Amino acid sequence: MIRYLRLYLYFLRFSFSRAMEFRLDFFFRVVMDTVFYLVHIIFFAIIYRHTALVGGWNYDQVLIFVCGFFVADALHMTVVANNLWHLPEYINKGDVDYHLVRPVSSLFFLSVRDFAANSFVNLLIALGLLGWAIGRYPGSFSPGQLLFYGLLIINGAYLYYLIHLLFILPVFWTHSARGFEAIFYSVKQFAERPDRVFHGPVRLLLVSLLPFLLIASYPAHVLLGDFNWSTMTHIVLVSLALTLLVLMVWRLGLRSYSSASS
Amino acid sequence: MGIYWQVFTMELRRQMSYRLDFWMNSLFAFMAAMAVVYYLWSSIYAGLDGGEIAGYSLNGMITYYLLVILIGRLVRGSQQLMAIANDIYDGGLSRYQLYPTSYLGFKYAEHLGNLLPVALQIALLAVVAPFFLDLPPEYAITPATLGTALLVVGLANLLYFLLALPLQLVAFWADNVWSLAVMLHFVGGLLGGVMLPLDLFPQGLREILYFTPFVYLYYFPVQVLLGQLGWAEIARGVTVMAFWLVILGSVARLIWLRGSRLYSGVGI
Repeated sequence: MIRYLRLYLYFLRFSFSRAMEFRLDFFFRVVMDTVFYLVHIIFFAIIYRHTALVGGWNYDQVLIFVCGFFVADALHMTVVANNLWHLPEYINKGDVDYHLVRPVSSLFFLSVRDFAANSFVNLLIALGLLGWAIGRYPGSFSPGQLLFYGLLIINGAYLYYLIHLLFILPVFWTHSARGFEAIFYSVKQFAERPDRVFHGPVRLLLVSLLPFLLIASYPAHVLLGDFNWSTMTHIVLVSLALTLLVLMVWRLGLRSYSSASS
Repeated sequence: MGIYWQVFTMELRRQMSYRLDFWMNSLFAFMAAMAVVYYLWSSIYAGLDGGEIAGYSLNGMITYYLLVILIGRLVRGSQQLMAIANDIYDGGLSRYQLYPTSYLGFKYAEHLGNLLPVALQIALLAVVAPFFLDLPPEYAITPATLGTALLVVGLANLLYFLLALPLQLVAFWADNVWSLAVMLHFVGGLLGGVMLPLDLFPQGLREILYFTPFVYLYYFPVQVLLGQLGWAEIARGVTVMAFWLVILGSVARLIWLRGSRLYSGVGI
């Protein structure tokens, strides 16, 4: 574990020094994510001009949900997104070879070695927005509730990463440029809407195999007073099951991987 | 003209070389977008007891989104809009300087080649859609509105290309500009009516938006197709589009002339 932490600190140092070399790109990416946040807040602000509730939530509640999603998304962008972007290329060109021979988990190395320093600034902005949404909420929350919510959002970001991987790993078999990543970017819209608008088989899918609703919606419910042990058990079991599924697909993928130009 | 046709068909063949990916990505992206729209707006309308929102019934709202999603794909193409920035960044632009063609014409032909498979998919959907879609009575799609909408979509496609072009040309000065194209996607999605019909926006803001190019990317072509605009309004809209095409084309040309002086041909 200590070895992994030390390795990660090296990744962080390298990523920050590289980000400082490309300052204009750094600035553009901060602005890009800020625009993303504004667009989503304006989207809900306009909808609430025409209705009082969306999925059972009023505007104050939906702001907490949306800003919670921003934090999970920013965590994803900061810690793993850059790495997942390059993963199909490594698999297709045979560059995974270099990571298979290292004395650390290849999946860990390939998932976290490029820390997006520019997105880290966006993580701070997203946290600021979440603080603003919580501050303007008419009710109050105890520090314990907020801490618990924070842990659930971190778990949400982890689930986000696992689902993203599930859409990329088929590249081991399809050898296409990006796997099914385009589908991921389409279906991730489910995570950006309150969970209670979905029902039937679609909802079942979104809380089990593709648990987009567990990323920010379920944590928001827990914070907003809908805490119950069955929800918590559900989140923990789905997180564990998805971890096992991704590890299984990764290992199957490595068995099909035939090195350079596979 | 022949060389542009060759580029167009070459790009078309390249697009179709991963058919499984292409069809699965397109189909799932469409289904996911429609599912999100359907569930969100069904939930909102359920709380209204059958009322309307900004003149849209639930059926009308779903129809609007269906068309804006499909037309949006025609306007944006296959998201190959970073090709020019990549050529500048990695030095690939050099080889085009030997070609007996205009570089930007070459890239637009590629962009159109990317578009044809998308157009084919949409044509197939258009054949199937009437069997599933109950067109609300307030909408009237006729051969005249369809023909006019196709022309407007063609202009909107060029408008999107020219909106993205100056952003890509920033690559002459900056190392990585894809975030600018993503920003255009976000802003265009909101102000162009992909995320929400513009009729839901406050009146004052809507009036300002009509002077921007974004409205004419998605919202305007859909309104033309649905027969919601008179000929005078269509003519006014096309005039604003033409104005923006000239402005953006001129800006892109200016940036191209200044930027290409800095181009070293070996990548940054």
